Amino acid sequence: MKVTIKNLTKRFSDMTAVNDFSAVIESGELIALLGPSGCGKSTMLNMISGILAPTEGKIFFDDEDVTDLSPEKRGVGLVFQNYALYPHMTVLENICFPLEIKKVPKEERIARAKEMAKLVHVDTMLDRKPGQMSGGQQQRVAIARALVKQPRILLLDEPLSNLDARLRIEMREEIRRIQQETGVTTIFVTHDQEEAMSISDHIVLMKDGFLQQYAKPQELYDEPANCFVADFLGNPPINKANGVIKNGKIVLEGDCEVELEAAKNIAEGREVTLSMRAEAIIVGEAEKACVGTVEEVYVMGKEVLAYVSLGTTKVRAYIDAEKTFDKGQTVNIGLKKRGVFVFDKETGERLA
Amino acid sequence: MKKLFKNLSFGRVLIYLFLTVGAITMVFPFYWMITGAFKSGTEIISFPPVWFPTSFALTNFVEAFERAPFLSYFINSVVAMVGSVSICSFTTIVGAFAFSKLDFPFKNVLLALLLGLMMVPFEMIVITNFRTIIDLGLYDNILALIVPFTSSIFYMYILKGFFDSIPNSLYQAARVDGCSNWKYLWKVMVPIAKPSLVTIILLNAIASWNSFLWPSLAILNKVNKTLPFGLYSFVNEGGSRTELMMAASTIVVLPMIILFLFARKQIVNGVARGGLKG
Ligand SMILES: Nc1ncnc2c1ncn2[C@@H]1O[C@H](COP(=O)(O)OP(=O)(O)O)[C@@H](O)[C@H]1O
Ligand SMILES: [Mg+2]
Repeated sequence: MKVTIKNLTKRFSDMTAVNDFSAVIESGELIALLGPSGCGKSTMLNMISGILAPTEGKIFFDDEDVTDLSPEKRGVGLVFQNYALYPHMTVLENICFPLEIKKVPKEERIARAKEMAKLVHVDTMLDRKPGQMSGGQQQRVAIARALVKQPRILLLDEPLSNLDARLRIEMREEIRRIQQETGVTTIFVTHDQEEAMSISDHIVLMKDGFLQQYAKPQELYDEPANCFVADFLGNPPINKANGVIKNGKIVLEGDCEVELEAAKNIAEGREVTLSMRAEAIIVGEAEKACVGTVEEVYVMGKEVLAYVSLGTTKVRAYIDAEKTFDKGQTVNIGLKKRGVFVFDKETGERLA
Repeated sequence: MKKLFKNLSFGRVLIYLFLTVGAITMVFPFYWMITGAFKSGTEIISFPPVWFPTSFALTNFVEAFERAPFLSYFINSVVAMVGSVSICSFTTIVGAFAFSKLDFPFKNVLLALLLGLMMVPFEMIVITNFRTIIDLGLYDNILALIVPFTSSIFYMYILKGFFDSIPNSLYQAARVDGCSNWKYLWKVMVPIAKPSLVTIILLNAIASWNSFLWPSLAILNKVNKTLPFGLYSFVNEGGSRTELMMAASTIVVLPMIILFLFARKQIVNGVARGGLKG
């Protein structure tokens, strides 16, 4: 099912949690709703599920306007961060519950619940209570419960953040598998960029209630729409250096001149932020963009990370394990096309 | 290290000694009452006291039943208790749910007002309650023992606290599945709150069973009296037959003791668990 969100706004008494949000989610896709804590992701999800009424704007499921429809009529499946399983019911009873409310005959609902349990691999523990299961198992049950009524859309609100690191990776692959097997349109809320990058078809990146960028994971990484997007994605975090455009070059603080093809079209005197991913900085390159000083070299397993100062700004760069540099050595710095961006210093708008 | 250990076990002995003394102090009156109910008239006043009754014949009970209508006292007590406790439990559950999970105008003001009312001691409301009962034409009627006790702010507030601790996401999950408030309350909230509820019901039942002041005001005729009030009258009228008083007292407390023995686990659970694990 296709979801269309038009100019959605949610204002609480003293603040705007979601601001003029528009997006179209294609049928059968897994979308990650990504953003820092408090940016309005849950609010957004609750408006789609119908738990919260939007202040302004409309939501369409396919061509049907569901803005004023109550939650149970929307056919959504919800999975919560804390699982929200009914503690006094067994796994089977939990999964059956949505069907029980819909008055599905007992035999049919048990059959369907068992089928769902199989899909999420909890079919061996149907008689357990949630309290007797691990977090990952509980989360699977929660997913089964959300899916058993065959929802038109599956909504997951930070479903993995209560799990430990290894289980998180395992479960996110599970979620991807289940989503692919069922083909249900899915919105997955997370504040973890890696989680979003690894399983989603598209990512919606939010900040302070505003949509920042809606794109494929790789596109988000390679072509960030603004400074915030570039900052938010990537590990180690992207390097940032402030500077001014002078004679088609970027002059960084501390008088470091950077020659950059892309900077040539930017107006003289504009204050900019030069953002460079660690893998886009080449230390000791003949074809230089600027000159820097090696400050520190760290060997971390297969990777070698160098701290280099460009003017007064220190940046992290990956270097070839074969090359050796001394501390304090002056080196040529090359910048790749990919992974180097120029933003307006004030607005964060992408300039190049 | 060894010394510490020794001290510890010495402390233990002290604690157990203390607890034993406490337990005996608590239990002894009951023991005296129950054994007294089986003693003869001479045994009960003899000195040194008779620790064990010589026979376990029920003559004292039979005589007590003959002298006063304890059976109808008992039935009245049961009717008053079951009536007030069941209605009160219902209003407690519904009220706690409304204050915990629903939104309505002046919710907080109303709650504050109700809590404020809790400060008024029962003895003060007695007069207004009495008037109300008379106006309703329920004076000297068993219903007079039920109607004023069909709701309890205190229990509602306790249960609301427990309901508050149930995560909201459970409610939202149920709502999205199409579960009505009503169904959610009875299918999810109440089963989860069962330990607290049982405790509340038991406390309420005990209070109802033991209540004396109100029945003594609202009831006039023998046929409508409850056990504690009936016992009081019996003691007043029955004179100095201590063994009969003991038998009658045993009749009054026995049901509560049995109730407690059956529900002991539930009570302890309710008190110990309190919250809901996430
Ligand atoms: N019921 C509410 N009343 C007032 N403010 C709220 C309410 N719910 C959320 N907010 C505020 O809206 C903002 C977005 O919240 P939320 O959607 O929960 O963020 P996220 O899920 O991205 O962490 C937060 O600043 C939060 O404090
Ligand atoms: Mg959230």
